Amino acid sequence: MSLPALRLRGLRKTFPKVVAVAGVDLDVAQGEVFGLLGPNGAGKTTTLEVIEGLTEADSGEIEILGLTWARNGREIRSRIGVQLQSTSLFNKITPRESLDLYGSYYPKRRSTEDLLKLVQLEEKADAYHITLSGGQQQRLALAMALVNDPELVFLDEPTTGLDPQARRGLWDVVRSMKAEGRTVVLTTHYMDEAEALCDRLAIMDHGKVIATGTPASLIADLAIPSVVELTFDGPAPEPGAFATDLGLAVERRADLWEIPTPDPKALLPRLLEAAETRAVPFQQVHIRRATLEDVFLHRTGRSLRE
Amino acid sequence: MEWRLYSRDRVAMFWTMAFPVILLLGFGTIFRDSGGPKLAVVRVAALAPGPQDAALDQALGDLQLKVVALSRAEAEARWARGETAAQLEPDGEGYRLRLNSYLMAQAGATAGLVNQAWLVAQARLSGAPEPRRIPLQVESPGRKRSANYASFLLPGLLGLNLVSMGLFSVGMVNVSYREKGKFRRLAVTPLPKWIFLLGQVLHRLTVTVVQAAILLLVGYLVFGIANQGSFLNLALIMALGTGCFMAFGFALSGFAETSEGYAAISNLVFFPLMMLSGVYFTLDSAPVWLQHVVAGMPLAPFLKALRAVFNDGAGLAGHGLGLGIVATWGLAAFLLAVKRFRWA
Ligand SMILES: Nc1ncnc2c1ncn2[C@@H]1O[C@H](COP(=O)(O)OP(=O)(O)OP(=O)(O)O)[C@@H](O)[C@H]1O
Ligand SMILES: [Mg+2]
Repeated sequence: MSLPALRLRGLRKTFPKVVAVAGVDLDVAQGEVFGLLGPNGAGKTTTLEVIEGLTEADSGEIEILGLTWARNGREIRSRIGVQLQSTSLFNKITPRESLDLYGSYYPKRRSTEDLLKLVQLEEKADAYHITLSGGQQQRLALAMALVNDPELVFLDEPTTGLDPQARRGLWDVVRSMKAEGRTVVLTTHYMDEAEALCDRLAIMDHGKVIATGTPASLIADLAIPSVVELTFDGPAPEPGAFATDLGLAVERRADLWEIPTPDPKALLPRLLEAAETRAVPFQQVHIRRATLEDVFLHRTGRSLRE
Repeated sequence: MEWRLYSRDRVAMFWTMAFPVILLLGFGTIFRDSGGPKLAVVRVAALAPGPQDAALDQALGDLQLKVVALSRAEAEARWARGETAAQLEPDGEGYRLRLNSYLMAQAGATAGLVNQAWLVAQARLSGAPEPRRIPLQVESPGRKRSANYASFLLPGLLGLNLVSMGLFSVGMVNVSYREKGKFRRLAVTPLPKWIFLLGQVLHRLTVTVVQAAILLLVGYLVFGIANQGSFLNLALIMALGTGCFMAFGFALSGFAETSEGYAAISNLVFFPLMMLSGVYFTLDSAPVWLQHVVAGMPLAPFLKALRAVFNDGAGLAGHGLGLGIVATWGLAAFLLAVKRFRWA
């Protein structure tokens, strides 16, 4: 592969009270869909804003399409597309006008009609911005990120607030961007989204990247491909003695226990026996494949969404 | 584009367009036939009015002085409220004139007229030939034709309205948009700041032109005030002033984090600008260095040129230096605005 689309080294950003980004190194190849995954406050938005030139980093190097802010600011701006976590527009502007207006700032641009069609906003093309629903505003923001036919697109939580159908629609848009050879960097809280869309992922927590890799390799690295779940009717009890009997770590979640295991078939009889002796009042047993959620839990001891 | 968005905000539109017109109609009507505020004297009624009082009252009337006749108690109350400039009271055989030190300009002129009236009244009573008076004529300097108060007011309103628009509304809108993050999306586009700011200034300029046109039209239709100078000159001066004070507003908005902060900063700049402009009082007695400072301020030359063109039909020739000062301030403010401007 030629130049990387994005290269970060030792990126740091401190706000008066918190270290939002604490030394991030990343490489994103051209044509890749790259995901930043992490809980609220992990520093995903701050990382993107520093890259996009909205916030100044305290230290670190940023190279975008081989360019740097210090020397090629304008060129970077005209070659990247940005969807902010929240885009605030003027109340009485219509989607068509927004796309025309923002498009007019770029040397190269895509037609407003195409973009409206892409995000399925044709019907609302001439409605004032404040009359659009949250999801429609979100879709407009996506279209605006593509207005300059960018090579590298940053999407900050593009599917938050979308209904399931619109979410699938957005996935299709991201896939078509990839097919057109664009590089996409997106943030998300959704595991399924990250698994479905991203070629590679970085998991962030407390301003640091704690793991990078393809979704499959991240899960494989866990070496515990399966999770047995015991669900309860109501809040799950403390697993204390049951876990000791079993000799395994048992994670208590809201209404279930999770027991990661490399071999669920061997575990199951022992587990049922232990449950019987300890009179555990569980309702159901599930065996599922490990997900990115488990990767996160395993690396940080915390759940992604809490 | 800006203009289209702006026109959709009906309330803002109504106020920027209608407010100066309302002011003009209000003040213009209040002072309509008087040719500006008239001189008046409060006359405390004598306990037993004699021929001398009657003669004095008539003479005061002849001199076109407005006489407000009040009982002693009423007169005292009015005096205490500070509304009286000059009060004429009976005192023994004759009279006494009390002058309000806070309204010395009116009081002094009134005193002169009252004394004249008294001489006239005495002459009439004694049958002596009436002393000849030097006729008075009240005028504003440089005025071509005698104009009413509204025509004096109109250019002032035009000018000040534009100053306050630049300093208060434009800057304020800028800061509050920034506060709400409305510029963040622009920040990631290659649009240069100076083009964005210039666009804003030009947009506001159009608003001002429309506003001025409405005001001029109303002034003409209601009060018959016509622009005495060329409209081109008027437009040039207005455009220069608008640009200058808008740039001021934008520059100041770069120093404020919040709308509240901006309100404080803009007042901080606006009041010295007004006070030192020489519009409200002359600074003849101020220290020399201060007079030099004042001479370099943009507000006074702007208003002066505006009045000269509008009221006296003057050309721009005599105002080159003044307008140069305005332009210099405007340019400096614009450069500062570009330097200080932040998207978020
Ligand atoms: N402007 C700011 N001033 C002070 N602190 C900030 C600012 N912006 C972000 N932070 C802090 O920096 C940390 C990282 O925030 P960031 O928005 O990058 O998180 P995130 O991963 O995008 O979270 P989310 O999933 O909620 O969007 C948080 O602790 C946040 O409180
Ligand atoms: Mg975020």
